[in-house]
Amino acid sequence: MNRFIEECRREWKRLHVPDAIANEMAADLAADLAEAEAEGASAEDVLGEAVFDARSFAATWAEERGVIAPAPARRDGRTSLPLVVVGAVLLATAIIGAALVVAGRSGSVEAHLAIAPVPRPHVAFFRRPGFGPVARVGRLKLWHAAPPFGQFVVGAPRDDTVAIGFALLIVGLTGSAVMAIMWLTRRARYAPA
Amino acid sequence: MASTERRSSQLLRGVLDLCLLAVIADDPAYGYEMTKRLRARGLSIVGEGSIYPLLGRLERDGLVETHRAASNGGPPRKYCRASNAGRRALAEGIAEWTSARDGIDVVLGLVEAEVQT
Repeated sequence: MNRFIEECRREWKRLHVPDAIANEMAADLAADLAEAEAEGASAEDVLGEAVFDARSFAATWAEERGVIAPAPARRDGRTSLPLVVVGAVLLATAIIGAALVVAGRSGSVEAHLAIAPVPRPHVAFFRRPGFGPVARVGRLKLWHAAPPFGQFVVGAPRDDTVAIGFALLIVGLTGSAVMAIMWLTRRARYAPA
Repeated sequence: MASTERRSSQLLRGVLDLCLLAVIADDPAYGYEMTKRLRARGLSIVGEGSIYPLLGRLERDGLVETHRAASNGGPPRKYCRASNAGRRALAEGIAEWTSARDGIDVVLGLVEAEVQT
């Protein structure tokens, strides 16, 4: 019985249940189990099948008391959809940023962002289109472009492209790292017993 | 046999909170004492998991009031009693249970009558 309670304590500690509450639950459980034992009853008589899974029992108890957050991942095995979407967007941002840096430094690439007819924008990397720029807006140039990129291509000077690429890369990598930490934390928090 | 036990388990799971509120509606009790009261009324909870998480939820929802008091020669225990909200929830739950049970009785009673004829 003591072993069961110790396992519960370890689980509550792992789940960051406040010590005062963990001590209270452990004391109540210990008193009940001791009384049951004195009356000749087993721990299973008190705890049912929970006696075979201390970690799950401890986590469920703490969760039902409201001292830890619910565990949707543990309940249904699904990963949070918003987390996946945000993670995918951040990862895509990092990849685009890295590609911009590489393309901008290659020297042979001048046009970096192709915009297909609205509303279907594309991001693409290719050599300078076969036509000269048809318009300039500040440091941006606008070219005609052949399919599949669409009708126009917006290009930026190489230095700007590298700077933008680095910015996107840093944002994407930092965000991805944060998301990965959050995911691992959730995974550890709701790991099955 | 296993199927019967599983059905019983599922049935009990749906009303165990009402059963707990019922045994502490008038007289407070601590965890193991509640288990004994349930057994004394013919309800074995072995295999149904523990009542502790359920008690935690009832307390969190304000359906149960708690206080600590000395037990017979043992350490202070956490006594639980149905709060006013808990008694109202119990009354509503009993009405729901009665309604569901009556409907099921009618449906299953018809089948039983068909089998006998």
